[in-house]
Amino acid sequence: MKLLTHNMLTSHVRGVRPGGGFPLRIQATEVKVNNVDFNQEFVARMIPKVEWGALLEAAESLGHLSDLPHQLPPEYENNEDFLRKVHHVLLEVEVMEGILKCPDSGREFPITKGIPNMLLSEEEET
Amino acid sequence: RPSGVAGGMAEASGRAGPSLRYFCTAGRGLEPFLLREVRARLGATQVEYVSGKVFFTTNSELSKLKTLKSGERLFLLLKKHAPISLSSNKGKVFHEIQKLVIEDPRCWLDIVSKWKHLHGNKVKQGNISKENPKSLKRKSEEEISIITKKQKREQILETVSDECHMEEQKKTVVLETNNDMDLLSENKTFPEETSESRIEKSVESNKDSFSFRVSCRCSGTIAKVFTSQEVGRVLGITLIKQLGWKADLRNPDLELFVHLNDIYSVVGIPIFRLPLATREYIQTAGLRSTVAWAMASLAEISAGAFVLDPMCGLGTILLEAAKEWPNVHYLGADINDSQLQGAHENIKSAGLMDKIELLKASVIALPLPSESVDIVISDIPFGKKFKITKDIKLLPNILREMERVLHVGGTVVLLVSQDLHKHIGGCISNCVESDASLNATSDNKNGAAVVKDLNPKEKNGSPRSISSSIQGVETEHFNNKITCFGSLAVVESYGVSLGKTDAFIYKYRKIPAAGMQ
Repeated sequence: MKLLTHNMLTSHVRGVRPGGGFPLRIQATEVKVNNVDFNQEFVARMIPKVEWGALLEAAESLGHLSDLPHQLPPEYENNEDFLRKVHHVLLEVEVMEGILKCPDSGREFPITKGIPNMLLSEEEET
Repeated sequence: RPSGVAGGMAEASGRAGPSLRYFCTAGRGLEPFLLREVRARLGATQVEYVSGKVFFTTNSELSKLKTLKSGERLFLLLKKHAPISLSSNKGKVFHEIQKLVIEDPRCWLDIVSKWKHLHGNKVKQGNISKENPKSLKRKSEEEISIITKKQKREQILETVSDECHMEEQKKTVVLETNNDMDLLSENKTFPEETSESRIEKSVESNKDSFSFRVSCRCSGTIAKVFTSQEVGRVLGITLIKQLGWKADLRNPDLELFVHLNDIYSVVGIPIFRLPLATREYIQTAGLRSTVAWAMASLAEISAGAFVLDPMCGLGTILLEAAKEWPNVHYLGADINDSQLQGAHENIKSAGLMDKIELLKASVIALPLPSESVDIVISDIPFGKKFKITKDIKLLPNILREMERVLHVGGTVVLLVSQDLHKHIGGCISNCVESDASLNATSDNKNGAAVVKDLNPKEKNGSPRSISSSIQGVETEHFNNKITCFGSLAVVESYGVSLGKTDAFIYKYRKIPAAGMQ
């Protein structure tokens, strides 16, 4: 599970208050770092879609925060240096084994071989 | 206009070579996609669709031809004639078939050399040297002169004898031909299918000569009089006699494909050994790759999009999409472990691990925030594995969840089996009269055939109206009746064949809630 995907995931357990299921806390037991081709346009397009605070939080929890700024720099689309850092965090860091934890309900979703299991039991479904 | 279709393909059509004419077969329902593709990808001209084949001219090189995604098999066109005129005189018809070769042998040799050139003059096992085409030509010239003498003799005979006499003569010719066949072949003929058979002749291939194999298909009226076998035999012998080629069962230099029906007589040379639909990058095929690609091409995928397949199975749709539109974030979800495992392996062997991520999740309870996805593409598997009654009840939940996660303006492209399609009316409610923005559903600008949805019970219903010039393609207008589910409005639909079964591709767009009553 890459952090780009993690940034899209939310807990959907019944009873969780709106927005309360995001972002899922990561407890990783195995993290892999890949080499992914850098595509400036793609990264620039992803940034507005990403929850920046959640991304920073996730990166930090995995020890890959590096020197990503807390605020988006102005005109980041042309800032290759910045975009490369974002690229690294979004696409190159991958959680292979671990747990995603709902911040509201505490419900844990396991990650196995890079694939998070978000299935709920019938009682849990909204 | 969304760049979806043309975006990934609008590059130069490769190194300019000679312009050659081709034809490509397409699965039923995919013809409009193929027509679009040859124009967009190959800059094809003189594009026409006739009876299951798309004919076109292009100067694209081989590697570019290989990128066609919605076609089945690609052929270099050798001959396209009016259909063989049928008469009660079998001999006359055989003669017609022979004429395909006899009347213009140079055309055959010419096409063969063009085919070789296309393949970079790479010769199979070095059997043929460059000199051979010349020697073949020399030989054939001799043959031609002999044949023309024969023809003259035959013509004289024809005018002199009466029909009975002639018939006998023709019969003799046929018999002689058969005798020749017996001598030449090991009579290794395969059991005939209704309309297609392959003539395999096992002959000791002379290393110096060019070897071929004829694959023949007869349909329509001619199939009632002749078997594909007979036609292939006649043609094969003519080629042997006329051009000095040798037949080779196992490993021919060249394959010839002949199709005779009520509309045309077509001869072509397959460009590739494997069908285009067989993708090198897909290890385990799920959904037919051509259909998967067609679905992705409808979805208006653009750079930076977030694309979800919430019932991804082995991931075929995502693989096809990611290959074509790479600068996109793809997510596949499934509830089944072995499917996810298969998808993972497919993604890995295709080298697309950086593009496609997987999730174990249920389509009716997606762990995604509302309005967070740009595009949803999915093959709804119901009716195939599961009991239809249970699944019909789930369908509204599935559509609702897809609608929820989608951005306004986002698209959903679904593949629905024919069984499920019959029931879809229950889910799709007729909404109140259209507003102007919804009328933009007649997406005919790119030549998209808006497809008619024939009443599934009535297979031979005549089309209400045909918005494209394509015969036989089911077309439907959604102008008068806006069908939608919640805020998902149907844009267009296509009836397609999945081989053994039929299905429908539905495209929806999420419209703003304010537009609805």
